Amino acid sequence: MNAPAGKSLLCVFIHLFLLRSLLKLFFGVNILGRENFDDLEQFMVISNHNSHLDILLLFASLPRKHIPRTRPVAAEEYFSRNRILYKLVGYLFDPIWIVREDKDADPLGEMRKALMSGQSVIIFPEGTRGEPGHIASFKTGIGRLSESFQDIPIIPVFLSGPEKAYPKSAWFPLPVWNEVIIGPPHVCAGDCYNITMGLEMTIRALASTLASGRHTRPVSHKNDLSLAVLGIDGSGKSTLSQELARSLSEKARVCLVTDDLELYEGGKRSEIQPLFTEKVREAVGKYAKEAKSLKHYKIPKLTELLLRNHLLGQVRRWYNPEIICQDGSPLLNLTAWSTLYKGDAVDAETCADAIRILAGRDDAPDRGDAIYSRFPELDAMKRAKLTSMWMPDAVIMLDVEPEISMDRIASRGERVQVHESTEKLARLRDGYLMVCDVLKSVFGLPVMVIDGGQDFETVTASALEFIKRTEEERADNGNRLH
Amino acid sequence: MFHSIPQTVTFALFLVLTVLAILKRMGRIRLPLDSYVYYLWAFFLFFAVSDFLSLKVGIWVLGVISFLSLREYFSMVDIRLQDRWAVLGAYLSIPFMIHYIQIAWYGLFIISIPVYAFLVIPFLITLGGKEIKGSILSTGIIDLGLFLFVYCIGHIGYLALFATFKAVMLIVAVALCDINAYILKVYRKPPPERFVLLYAVTTPQTLVLTWVLSPWTGIPYEHSVVLGFLIPFLVAMGRHTMDFLMADLGVDERNLRPGRGQVIANLRSFLYTAPMVFHYIRYFLT
Repeated sequence: MNAPAGKSLLCVFIHLFLLRSLLKLFFGVNILGRENFDDLEQFMVISNHNSHLDILLLFASLPRKHIPRTRPVAAEEYFSRNRILYKLVGYLFDPIWIVREDKDADPLGEMRKALMSGQSVIIFPEGTRGEPGHIASFKTGIGRLSESFQDIPIIPVFLSGPEKAYPKSAWFPLPVWNEVIIGPPHVCAGDCYNITMGLEMTIRALASTLASGRHTRPVSHKNDLSLAVLGIDGSGKSTLSQELARSLSEKARVCLVTDDLELYEGGKRSEIQPLFTEKVREAVGKYAKEAKSLKHYKIPKLTELLLRNHLLGQVRRWYNPEIICQDGSPLLNLTAWSTLYKGDAVDAETCADAIRILAGRDDAPDRGDAIYSRFPELDAMKRAKLTSMWMPDAVIMLDVEPEISMDRIASRGERVQVHESTEKLARLRDGYLMVCDVLKSVFGLPVMVIDGGQDFETVTASALEFIKRTEEERADNGNRLH
Repeated sequence: MFHSIPQTVTFALFLVLTVLAILKRMGRIRLPLDSYVYYLWAFFLFFAVSDFLSLKVGIWVLGVISFLSLREYFSMVDIRLQDRWAVLGAYLSIPFMIHYIQIAWYGLFIISIPVYAFLVIPFLITLGGKEIKGSILSTGIIDLGLFLFVYCIGHIGYLALFATFKAVMLIVAVALCDINAYILKVYRKPPPERFVLLYAVTTPQTLVLTWVLSPWTGIPYEHSVVLGFLIPFLVAMGRHTMDFLMADLGVDERNLRPGRGQVIANLRSFLYTAPMVFHYIRYFLT
């Protein structure tokens, strides 16, 4: 057997006799359309991506002679978290490592080099493992590569089964049959965007063939609307978010994330099973409220916000809501609160960068940027990998004069928190308004600032009207994309 | 080596099936029931190992058959992320069932799945996640798979514990019905007609078979006659029911392959027959 540089004979042997046997015995594999690899010397394989099994299945479907010279594309920062896994994956698959965090690097550079040296590549155009069973929109990398290498055929592959056998966030694999459906080779022409769209349609067409059909139940709301109601203490945001959740639940399943976690269906609050994270968050939140100074308030509040952010992921995973209504937003609260601690050091530009960093966006400033030295908290959070906070899809800001807020807080008869003074609330209000401006102008998010001094019915009606408009726009955008 | 005629017959059938399975695998012959010969071979491997080595070892072959059918079933049904612990529980019940057969603990064998596993599975579903809607559906889906492909198939093992040849008789009688079903192409006929036709044609054959095998199975003639009537009825009932379930699972009868209905289609006739025949024999003849 001829094994060119890249993978050793032992490695090929492991693929052929160990990995393939294990896959067949434990999971079961059907490979349909293997003949599409016949007579090809070099190719680019593209496939949907739901599981770590995907790469094993794709290698199991390759003809023997292509194993040594085929390289998958993989995210280095993900695999490098575990040294043994990194070495093992490196040995078995010889991946083209992509460093997603490195903004200067050309992610296609290594792929181009591999293709020019006669190697074949395996690419997941969705970029990362998506929601189990759903094909996400393709990134244009494959289109750009295809533009440059028009003579190298692209083999579309649809994988059905790994999303059940070992989906993202599952603790263990389950024995479930997998199907690898290999489509005929494509030679693409045209511009990068059209090639990408065409290939996405091809994979979707493979997915809809009879070969991949399965018994399914009709429950899934993956494209949920996440709504955040912002405002200073005493602005009435908790009451408004509760009323919005109740009203919206007449047509959809709504999860309200406030001091309590509530689920609304059919216009009424319904029973839910508790989440452990929620219990911890509640306790931390209570502790934060009892802080005697801003200094002592900072860490418990930050912990509470991070837990609340984690909770949003849990809510999506377990309650499957169509709308998530948040009383505040961990990401935006954290950004707005920086004005309370850092004062004038926070301007609109800093605010936008902080949001980019905290939301883990691709366009976030690199490690060396001055913002990390000015705000060591951001640096610490980035180091601790706490910068993947959820960005809401739409924001409602209840704008109230601090004096009115103070009156409302006093009328509650509850213990006054450390930041609840006219002067601090005024700074916080400015912070929130700046965040709203940035969200609107920089990130293009739908934002509505409502005068919280109006009567409650008017405020609710305006908010509902805004949400309706946002949903319509989202639906229009969705239709345009598909 | 051979202590009795039944043992010799069992081994001879095993050899014949082994040769057929090898030839089929090599593509030298084309058999009417396609991959059916592999499953018959697996049952006879179980009988041969049980007769010549030990039932404690042979029973693992049955465990593998259960695993393969359950794996195919779980590949086709809709399991949610939070059902995974329950599915794992269903797989793990296979070694438990095998152990109870190995130690001949009938009391626990008969209740382990319908009592303990059926109580534990909904509990595992609630532990696996927070989604309430769909939990009853998931419980039903997982319980049905566990019941049909582990519990019902497990009865063949316990029947072999009474006497291997009793189980051999059951498998041969069911195979006879399946061959008839294939020749008559019953799956092309509408439901009531296919049921009646299969029963009417196969009953005389199973009557002759159970009567002829009566001295070797140790089942008295009058009970052999009852079984001769009972087995084709249960096969027809099992096939009829499983055809409905398979249609719901999206199985295309003309395009069967592993993971897409092939295993279940080949085992569907045994699912109703095994527990009913076992309990008939246990009640009247032990």
